[in-house]
Amino acid sequence: MDKILIPRGLQRTSFGNFLMWILPWTAMLAVGVYAIYLCLAEGLFHTNMDNRFAFGIWIFLDLTVIALGAGAFFTGFLLYILRRKELKAVINSAVVIGLICYSGAVLVLAVDVGQPMRAWFTFWHPNVHSMLTEVTFCLTCYLIVLLIEYIPIVLKNRQLRQIPKFLVFEFQLHKLMPVFAGIGTFLSFFHQGSLGGLFGVLRGRPFAFREELGIWPSTFFLFVISAAAAGPSFIMLTTWLVEKITRKQLVKPEVYKFLGKVSGTMLIAYVLLKSIDTLFWINSTSPGNGFPAFEFYATQSFGTWILFTEIVFFGLLPALVLLNSRLRENRKILLGAGFLVCSGIMLNRFVMTIQTLALPTLPFDDFLTYSPSWEEVATFLFVVAYGMLLYSLTYRYSVIFPQERELSQMNGELSQQEFADGGSRRPFWQPKFVTDLLNKFVSTKL
Amino acid sequence: MLPWVYEFHWTAFHITFLLIFFTVFVVVVSTVILAMRRTQQAEKDNTMESIQWHSDFDDLSPAFKVCRHELNGDVKHRVCDHGFDCRSCTVHPLLVSKQQKHPLLQFEVYGFTMPPYRMYHRGHTWVQEENDGTYKIGIDDFGTRILGRAYSVELPPVGTRLSVNGKGMLVKKSNMNIRILSPIDGEVIEQGDSEKGWYLKVKADDSKKVTAHLLKGEEIPNWILRELERLQISFATCGVGATLADGGELAPDFHRHYPKADWDGVIGQMFLEA
Repeated sequence: MDKILIPRGLQRTSFGNFLMWILPWTAMLAVGVYAIYLCLAEGLFHTNMDNRFAFGIWIFLDLTVIALGAGAFFTGFLLYILRRKELKAVINSAVVIGLICYSGAVLVLAVDVGQPMRAWFTFWHPNVHSMLTEVTFCLTCYLIVLLIEYIPIVLKNRQLRQIPKFLVFEFQLHKLMPVFAGIGTFLSFFHQGSLGGLFGVLRGRPFAFREELGIWPSTFFLFVISAAAAGPSFIMLTTWLVEKITRKQLVKPEVYKFLGKVSGTMLIAYVLLKSIDTLFWINSTSPGNGFPAFEFYATQSFGTWILFTEIVFFGLLPALVLLNSRLRENRKILLGAGFLVCSGIMLNRFVMTIQTLALPTLPFDDFLTYSPSWEEVATFLFVVAYGMLLYSLTYRYSVIFPQERELSQMNGELSQQEFADGGSRRPFWQPKFVTDLLNKFVSTKL
Repeated sequence: MLPWVYEFHWTAFHITFLLIFFTVFVVVVSTVILAMRRTQQAEKDNTMESIQWHSDFDDLSPAFKVCRHELNGDVKHRVCDHGFDCRSCTVHPLLVSKQQKHPLLQFEVYGFTMPPYRMYHRGHTWVQEENDGTYKIGIDDFGTRILGRAYSVELPPVGTRLSVNGKGMLVKKSNMNIRILSPIDGEVIEQGDSEKGWYLKVKADDSKKVTAHLLKGEEIPNWILRELERLQISFATCGVGATLADGGELAPDFHRHYPKADWDGVIGQMFLEA
């Protein structure tokens, strides 16, 4: 049905199967739209946040997706500035993931602020002393850069490339990509850093407060390095997931290994710096603010196990695995380590937001608890659904993985049996009788 | 944000922060404008077709970009990085000088009629030099069979300048539009048709170098064999599924046997369109 839109030489599932795949995500998106509408139209009382617990699931999501989306800037930096050609195989995927993560984060921030009609205030009347102003400016600019980087992917669509001007514009834009990669790296360095820099002004929260090194607190650098470590791992995991869902090999094994090596190198640097930072905080910063550090871990839910898990289990362990070339040869171990890295970054952002606000800091404070409302969860799921839809549509109608053609030809992966239903593959998530019914329906229609 | 906007202060922080922001903004916008201007310039300079071909060529899989010298067995493995234009390749002349030339005598190559006095472009067109120094251009037998029976060809008008790997002609079949690459540089001086057996007569720009990139003589059987493999690959990835080499010939109208295949995909790939 939509064959003319699918890139030449690439096999995609039938239109019916694709509709079945996007249906649940579209439903999830619709629920999210309703939740967002409630929050924006009626007010933020729909959330379970209050004046004391102002960092909820949304900020946690924002910090996490921005860190995971760092693969876009870091891959671009390695490919276009440091000329690591291996990453050409995943750069498009990194851009799409980056676009999803950043646009999702900006959207959730807009809902979190709750005043979308006054969003322009932050640009027109910026408080230049605020780290969040820097974050807002850098996020917006980088989102524009990601949109520009996304244009060539769209223009490579089979029908759009028939228009000569589009294809030539894509070519010219592609030639200028190092400029965008450089700007992206600059902006990402500052917004990732500024998100961490926020903890340099949280003097009232000694659990998260960090002292300054020069003009920035240690968390500024830790956020940048941890994002650079998690980004490549997240690209590795998403690529593997797309391969599993589509049952195709999309990149060569060397690409996985290289991503793993990059992630491991950045991670070991992060673990080292994080350990020094934690020791300094335990022995100097926290006692200096009147709190023995281990008092923060006295509550059962957030014991010292969380610190150990973050630094050792999600940090040191995967770093050592990813730096070992023999272990990188084993795909399961490589992906397992990548999963630990991504889990580590999620845990770190959780600790820095939710745990920070839950812990009591004043004598009359209690341990605060918070659980998100359904509207908050639905908004979170909106971003997930939006991401799945954008990625699925881009994958179907454009070329995300440039090695896909070559690999599908090399593998000779397409067998007669797979095309017995008229050229469509049965997705792994779909029972056979549904595929048969869909194909019957499509062929009757045609 | 700006000096006349409420809450702007003439402080170092304000000025530095906003200067950095405006610099980033200006660089982003001017880079996009530069890309647009270069696109316009390419249109003026008539280099759009060349860029289109480079984009198409870049998107072809390495298996489709094998160097002619690998086909001939001169080198073990080599992927072309000159868009099948050997005239700009520095390795090509070195390898040509080492070749032992044996002229091809047969007309039939793996079931295809490929007259040895013609030269062939990788995009399935042939070039034949006439006594008056002009060149006739047509679609080769392999290409004709892939296109099947019912198709029409849109030809460039007389006086049009053609460039190697630019658009030579446009084939229309059902809802498909397939561009056929021009095999040589030159000016169209006469239009032909399928009944005449050729489509264009061209006055070449530089008669010495005009055919250096085209396949000749004993190169043709090796190339056709590889094209048959390429056709199988295209079938496999365009909805026909696995096909087996049985040593037979390509049936004249094999399209009707695979009605569900993505024929635009197969034909496009065979004519080097990504």
